[in-house]
Amino acid sequence: MLRMQNLSKVYRTHMIETHALRGFEIHVAQGEFVTVTGPSGSGKTSFLNIAGLLEEFNEGEYILDGVNVKGMDDNARSRLRNEKLGFIFQGFNLIPDLSLFDNVDVPLRYRGFNRAERKERIEDALAKVGLASRMKHYPAELSGGQQQRVAIARALAGSPKLLLADEPTGNLDTQMARGVMELLEEINAQGTTILMVTHDPELAVRAQRNVHIIDGQVSDLVRKAPTLVDAHHAQVHTA
Amino acid sequence: MFQYYFLLGLRSLRRNPALTALMVLTLAIGVAASVSTLTILHVMSGNPMPDKSERLFVPLVDNGSLEGYTAGDPPDDRLLSYRDSVNFTSSKVGEQRTAMFGLAGPVEPPKKEIGVFTAMGLASTSSFFSMFDAPFRYGQAWTERDDQRAADVIVLSRGLAEKLFGAANPVGRRMTIFGSQFQITGVLDTWQVVPRAAHVIGATGPFGPEDEFYVPFASAVRHQLSPNGSMSCAQSVDPGYQAVLDSECTWIQVWFEMRSAADRDELQSYLDSYANDQRRMGRLKRNAPNKLYSMMEWLDYLKVVGNDSHLQAWLAFGFLLLCLVNTVGLLLAKFSVRAAEVGIRRALGASRKEIFRQFLIETTVIGLAGGILGLLLAFGALALIGMQSATLHVVTHMDLGMLALTFTLSVLAALLAGLLPTWRACQVTPALQLKSQ
Repeated sequence: MLRMQNLSKVYRTHMIETHALRGFEIHVAQGEFVTVTGPSGSGKTSFLNIAGLLEEFNEGEYILDGVNVKGMDDNARSRLRNEKLGFIFQGFNLIPDLSLFDNVDVPLRYRGFNRAERKERIEDALAKVGLASRMKHYPAELSGGQQQRVAIARALAGSPKLLLADEPTGNLDTQMARGVMELLEEINAQGTTILMVTHDPELAVRAQRNVHIIDGQVSDLVRKAPTLVDAHHAQVHTA
Repeated sequence: MFQYYFLLGLRSLRRNPALTALMVLTLAIGVAASVSTLTILHVMSGNPMPDKSERLFVPLVDNGSLEGYTAGDPPDDRLLSYRDSVNFTSSKVGEQRTAMFGLAGPVEPPKKEIGVFTAMGLASTSSFFSMFDAPFRYGQAWTERDDQRAADVIVLSRGLAEKLFGAANPVGRRMTIFGSQFQITGVLDTWQVVPRAAHVIGATGPFGPEDEFYVPFASAVRHQLSPNGSMSCAQSVDPGYQAVLDSECTWIQVWFEMRSAADRDELQSYLDSYANDQRRMGRLKRNAPNKLYSMMEWLDYLKVVGNDSHLQAWLAFGFLLLCLVNTVGLLLAKFSVRAAEVGIRRALGASRKEIFRQFLIETTVIGLAGGILGLLLAFGALALIGMQSATLHVVTHMDLGMLALTFTLSVLAALLAGLLPTWRACQVTPALQLKSQ
């Protein structure tokens, strides 16, 4: 699904040069649920931004669902982002003056779906996250957990192949975080690949695999098959 | 997507309502100021007879003295002497010819409750009415025979006819003007040509009210009526009306109507030949070029639209520019708080081009709102200007073209003002915005 080889990302100002990623290598298979952990400033967000085609990289290669994204112009990157990727952010990032329906509608507009198809997808996506009855509400009228559910619905509406989540439970209380995590696991179970950055080690171990980043490099690949014991363990800790 | 962005633009008007209102108002004031002055300029410099103006000509021959004259200088006068005027109108050149001079005289109304008042009019020939497409409400022009026998006949404006006779058709009735009885042959309908190209030179000027009456040129001369307008005499003139007619004083304007604009050369040849004959006869002293002006050239030559009108228009556009700069600042403020939305939209698949489109359409919506308000303000400004004087009232009318221009100008101004803020919005780094939320 996603392959990065020898990828580097350097931020330059006229004074300082910062290597956010160097010799970065990762391969995420179709249908995997991968968590990304690492200390602050390790390069997690840079990795996620590059994976989400929100930032360009300096060197190396990035293949997204079989497409080499290097050298793509802004239009092509935007189209690819719209068709293949879904985003979930820590701060929800809903547009405050659009209703839930219109928020979920945004990526579908750029995809060029007709009105009927957009309506069907929006209703389906909001139903999936349990908010079908609140389509006409505005984000400010919802709790944090509900807002994150709307963000998930928006990310899902376009049927992305890869869902990128940047600390999606970071702003939620434990109960809401658990609900969102369960929803993500459910989405993953239906075949969507998920790449999730998190600071929470308990959430990290709930994924099939955890990638730890230190100083812009993948330091350790922990392969892990989810077990009932793990799930129980996680529940005990998050409760 | 246009419809989607347009709706987003409409919604955006409600966001930061104070800022939006300020922007729309700034734009509207700039547009109203420039459109008001442009409307006046447009009306003032318009072609009053677009179908005919190219084949109506004013001739000028220089009958000045040699004193202070440099050979080759063009005529420094704008009117003709009685002798030249009569010679020109009695020639057979062109389709029609007319000579005219302004008049002002006492009218004695048939209703005694209205006292004697002064009316302003024109002495001309019967051809004047057809040459300038004068619209008749009742009756018609007097005949050529009336011209020849200097008959006391008169054509009234609608305003004067209604003042004297009410709504009744007065054709055939007699009225007293200049102390004599004149028979009414026709009443014109409202005839507000702007500028009054046929009778630019006169007491009322190019934007004054329409003439109130018309009498035959020959009749006015027979009654020895003094011109109400300028008369230029290079040398002293003996006393008496006849002496003025015999003099080289200039006070009459002549028009030729040719079959087509191409007949200009024919008219020029006639004019040159006439001037040469007059020089041979010793009457014309100067060897000045004989000038012909088509209607629009004539208005231009007389500077009907003065430099101050052009200056006013430039100043108004300068003001619009100032408003635009302000709008740029306000748009920058408005769009800068939308950086997060840009980041989200970019993450969800909007290219920079799409963001550019969205924000530019949003500025178009602001431009349209500014246009609507600007139009109302322009109408208000024109009404206020029009109330200042009858002359200004004539030139403060907005036509459909100017209406369309108002909207075009407003939208273009908004788009122009929106370019920089929109470009800045497109430069937003989505990753930064998404993380900072």
